[in-house]
Amino acid sequence: MTRTKTIIDRCETVLAGVQWLSIFIASVALVVLVVTFGWLVFGRYVLNVTPTWVEQLALMLVCYIAFLGAASGVREDTHLGVSLFRDMLPVPLQKIVMVAIDFILAAFGAIMFIAGVELMRFGWDSLIPMLDVPESFRTLAITTCGGLIVLHAGSRGIIRILTYRTWTPNFTAQES
Amino acid sequence: MGLTILMLVFGVGVVIGMPVAFAMGIAAASAFWYEGFPMLITFQRATAGVSVFSLLAIPFFVLAGEIMLHGGIAVRLVKLASALVGHFRGGLAMVNIFSSMLFGGISGSAVADISALGSILVPVMKERGYRPDFAVNVTVTSSIAGIVIPPSHNMIIFAVAAGGGISVSGLFLAGVIPGMIMCFSLAIAAYILSIKHNYPAEPFPGWTEVGRTAADAIPGFFTAVIIVGGTLSGVFTVTESGAFGAIYAILLTTFYYRSLTWDSFITAVTGTVRTTSMVMILIAFASSFAYLLALYQVPARLSDALVTISDNPIMILLMINVILLILGMIMDMAALILICTPIFLPIAKGLGMDPTQFGIMMLMNLGLGLCTPPVGTCLFVGCAVGKIKIEEALKSIWPFYLAILGALILVTYVPAVSLWLPSLLK
Repeated sequence: MTRTKTIIDRCETVLAGVQWLSIFIASVALVVLVVTFGWLVFGRYVLNVTPTWVEQLALMLVCYIAFLGAASGVREDTHLGVSLFRDMLPVPLQKIVMVAIDFILAAFGAIMFIAGVELMRFGWDSLIPMLDVPESFRTLAITTCGGLIVLHAGSRGIIRILTYRTWTPNFTAQES
Repeated sequence: MGLTILMLVFGVGVVIGMPVAFAMGIAAASAFWYEGFPMLITFQRATAGVSVFSLLAIPFFVLAGEIMLHGGIAVRLVKLASALVGHFRGGLAMVNIFSSMLFGGISGSAVADISALGSILVPVMKERGYRPDFAVNVTVTSSIAGIVIPPSHNMIIFAVAAGGGISVSGLFLAGVIPGMIMCFSLAIAAYILSIKHNYPAEPFPGWTEVGRTAADAIPGFFTAVIIVGGTLSGVFTVTESGAFGAIYAILLTTFYYRSLTWDSFITAVTGTVRTTSMVMILIAFASSFAYLLALYQVPARLSDALVTISDNPIMILLMINVILLILGMIMDMAALILICTPIFLPIAKGLGMDPTQFGIMMLMNLGLGLCTPPVGTCLFVGCAVGKIKIEEALKSIWPFYLAILGALILVTYVPAVSLWLPSLLK
């Protein structure tokens, strides 16, 4: 049991690091978005020269903010959801439903990852206008999101099964 | 059968407590699979759904609100409100409502409003002898002002969900009078309750103090003026205005107020990432979901169903409002805007309702849902801030619900309430 706990703790540390990295990259993308957009406004209205690449870059950055942040939200359990009906169930059933949700999300993440790889393959030859980088760089965000969802939701499901007796629905495995 | 699969998978996902965004994504992927489309269309549409230029305004609006919250602008607005309206009976309740009008108008987020203002005002109200449930209820219900008073990122979500063609600057203008009517109705309710419970009035600080707090707060309030003014004047696009507003807020709190520390900046940026991604992932999968709703002609079918119940526009609008209120009780706002707009907007248009008026009606209605159990984010945050139980708050929240419902009825049935201001620009 102690060995299992040690392994779980190590996994949690790695997963927390991955989540921190996701939020860090998304935060850097946000700062770059603000700075480049500031440059766009300054260029357009003060210098009378519009840096046209900013809009395309911004549309790409927002994908990274959205999808990396969303994958992190899966681990933090911050996405909008309705727990009202689940909370009415007896506790053992609630726990089963929560584990089931984890694995459904992980499966969806896997489909997202595979579809993302396909989209990246299709988009390799078409370039994003003004940026001249393959369209695949945009779809890389959703691919990464899929992979991270598999990691976060899947590992939480496994940890919840391994520590089935020690967690309650309102007290996650990570907190225990 | 495809529609049944879409609705069933989505319904089951929501009922078991799956995040709404992913429930929509899984439902859309299942329906695409059933119809023989490649499943990657779900994700192609999701990526395309967030790569929309006008949506870029959302991170900027959220960042401006976060910077105001963590950079000291919110506190200055509360002081200004206190100096202006604190001397009325139930003064701190008036301060709370007026602050929501000022701050909520800029942040556009009801939850940010409660976190920022509630944590400052609720403890002070309790200390001054106000009942905790009254303090929480005033904070919670007045926070909805942030959703309808411009700038509001929910208006952008609505404009996108409506499929384009709706002017964001028109929505901005349309929200001003309904937001003020709502705050005024809440102030009347708070005033009557203050007389009943004999709540005190704060001493008037004098015009010198009013002038001093105004001079201190006005540069912060300019964040909203930049965003709304830039958009309405047509000088900037809504996205450029948002970016300019966020940069202005950062520069102001760093160099003028000197209250934005590195730590609070990091908190604001990571908070913005979390909020933006939560909204954007909803928009991403809602675009796949909405595509299928249109494919299965759900709006037309529902419209036909409603007409069989009644062909009276007043009744149909009442039914739409009741449906939105019920849905608002169990689901959060952004998700409902994205799901319900493509369904109900065509029906409202069919009745001759202006899409802008419908948007404001919908935002107010769903805003009320944020203050109602069993799923009311604002109510929960408010009760946590006020350290009271939800049941305790609910016992005395009814006068405030009635005030908001009154304003909602006005917006629904009197088009001029929302459309008069935008008509001046035409």
